[in-house]
Amino acid sequence: MRTMPWLSLKMVVAAVYVFMLGPILITASVAFNATERSYFPPRGFSLQWWEAAFGPQWMQPLVFSLQLASLTAVISAAAGIPLAFAFQRYEFPGKAIVRAITLGPLILPTLVTGIALLQFLSLIGLGRWMGFWALLIGHVVICLPFSVRTIAVSLQAMPGNLEPAAASLGATPFAVLRHVTLPLIAPGTMAGMIFAFVHSFDDVNLSLFIARPGERPLTVAILGFLDFGFAPTLAAVSILSMLIPLALVALFGRLVGIGDFLYQETGHG
Amino acid sequence: MAEPALQLVSLTKRFGAATVVDAIDLAVAPGEFVTLLGPSGCGKTTTLNMVAGFLAPDGGAIRLQGKPVESLPPFRRDLGLVFQDYALFPHMSVAENVGFGLRMRRVPRAEIARRVSDALALVQLVGLGERRPLQLSGGQRQRVALARALVIQPAMLLLDEPLSNLDLKLREEMRVEISMLQRRLGIATIFVTHDQGEALTMSDRIAVMRAGRIEQIGTPSEIYERPATRFVAGFIGTANLIEAADGAAVIRPERLHLASQAPSGVRSWQVQIEHVAYIGPRLELRLRAADGTRLMAELVNDGTAHWSAGDAAVAWCRGEDAWVIPDGPAPREAVKELQVTSSA
Repeated sequence: MRTMPWLSLKMVVAAVYVFMLGPILITASVAFNATERSYFPPRGFSLQWWEAAFGPQWMQPLVFSLQLASLTAVISAAAGIPLAFAFQRYEFPGKAIVRAITLGPLILPTLVTGIALLQFLSLIGLGRWMGFWALLIGHVVICLPFSVRTIAVSLQAMPGNLEPAAASLGATPFAVLRHVTLPLIAPGTMAGMIFAFVHSFDDVNLSLFIARPGERPLTVAILGFLDFGFAPTLAAVSILSMLIPLALVALFGRLVGIGDFLYQETGHG
Repeated sequence: MAEPALQLVSLTKRFGAATVVDAIDLAVAPGEFVTLLGPSGCGKTTTLNMVAGFLAPDGGAIRLQGKPVESLPPFRRDLGLVFQDYALFPHMSVAENVGFGLRMRRVPRAEIARRVSDALALVQLVGLGERRPLQLSGGQRQRVALARALVIQPAMLLLDEPLSNLDLKLREEMRVEISMLQRRLGIATIFVTHDQGEALTMSDRIAVMRAGRIEQIGTPSEIYERPATRFVAGFIGTANLIEAADGAAVIRPERLHLASQAPSGVRSWQVQIEHVAYIGPRLELRLRAADGTRLMAELVNDGTAHWSAGDAAVAWCRGEDAWVIPDGPAPREAVKELQVTSSA
């Protein structure tokens, strides 16, 4: 009776792992080919494609992506804190609408956001902003929902009497914010920044429309290079672009318990 | 007479249509321990929150040492608060928690360290300054909260059900400890609780609240032995209420005695014993009088009591042990109570 469902469940789990890890492992091994083309299993062994991946052709978009993602993360957190406060603590007219607009990009196809932003910037005459600044605006728009949500979860989880207690001890509202509230929502803020960073770093849908030559994130550069076929260089670059967010999550995830924010549900936020 | 530490004049708070605190007057003398006692929804916590500055009154005045404070924000009121859940800052050590109020007052670092260690000694937590609140037991957290409230030498101490999260034995220990500390420091204190045992053992005076009003205010013995209303009689301890022409007579179970024959010059009732509960030091007897009135009697288990269920007996008490509550007009309170419950 019990063995059948268990067996099928195990098979499903095994299939998930095969299809999740298999492509990554194959891509990783392909990057060690000694040939011009991507063979699996790799023919010969060489590090030349990794050398190419670290060359200026790829380092330039990589650094661009890192700068873009870092700034996006910082701005998302800075804007996310007041927004999370507003949604979590206050009632104001139009709250539902503001919240829908803020969290909307979470369910809107990023492609649509990208096209809309492209047209909007052209129409209001800011077409020359295309590139880094327009990308930054777009990435903040699509990453903000993540930081707002994780910060809201933190705010909600904070015991209700801590702020009154601080006030009763003589802390001005600003001192309460600085010494009690902000330190206690720091894990949520950090988690939000990591989500924003990763989301920005991985984005291709929006960036595709707004990037311009010389100001391209890594994902768009990879996509562009695909025109020349799937060269082993691309395999090396892909692995590299995967390791960076992974390392970030592994490093900070431990510190702030990112899982709490991935799996926790919030009623509001 | 010295200026009261705290004076509430006709203090009122409304939430929508419900008047949660209804024009209460109260004066707390310097060094006095006053308890606001009542069931949940009686307005005691709302009153405390207005004194602390977390809620703005809809009417009336709050004077701290003679000065009106209604318009002052909480951080300017100079009060020490202890919350039911202690509200310790989880990201700070015990010493940082206790020192927080001093830091906000920009007290020099060395003096903070000295006063924090004095405060920790006061609540018997020497050596625990480096711990985090989460590493402490409930009783220790309670002491940290107390030290944090006292170290700023506030004009007044406000305690919001501070014992209700502790287990029974610790609760009784802390009652004594808080009382002794409060008397030693001579700090005027308002204590909010729904626990009549805490109120009776700790207070100089008790204000029994119901439906936003103070039903009676007095010393513990006045409240217990001479309740002003049926509600007070029933809320504090167990009361036998015997209806009489001029009101209801309150007889506490321990003042009701049993005998086979009533002594002369006392009030007495023919009763049937329905149940005898063996408590250990005491026996609790449920009785039924001839007219169907149910009574409770509490006897000291001194070895002479030999009653069992089914026995017929005479229950008696001295005339002065039957305290008569005059029937007053009560319908207004009843209406208000309805409003409070319907809005909750």
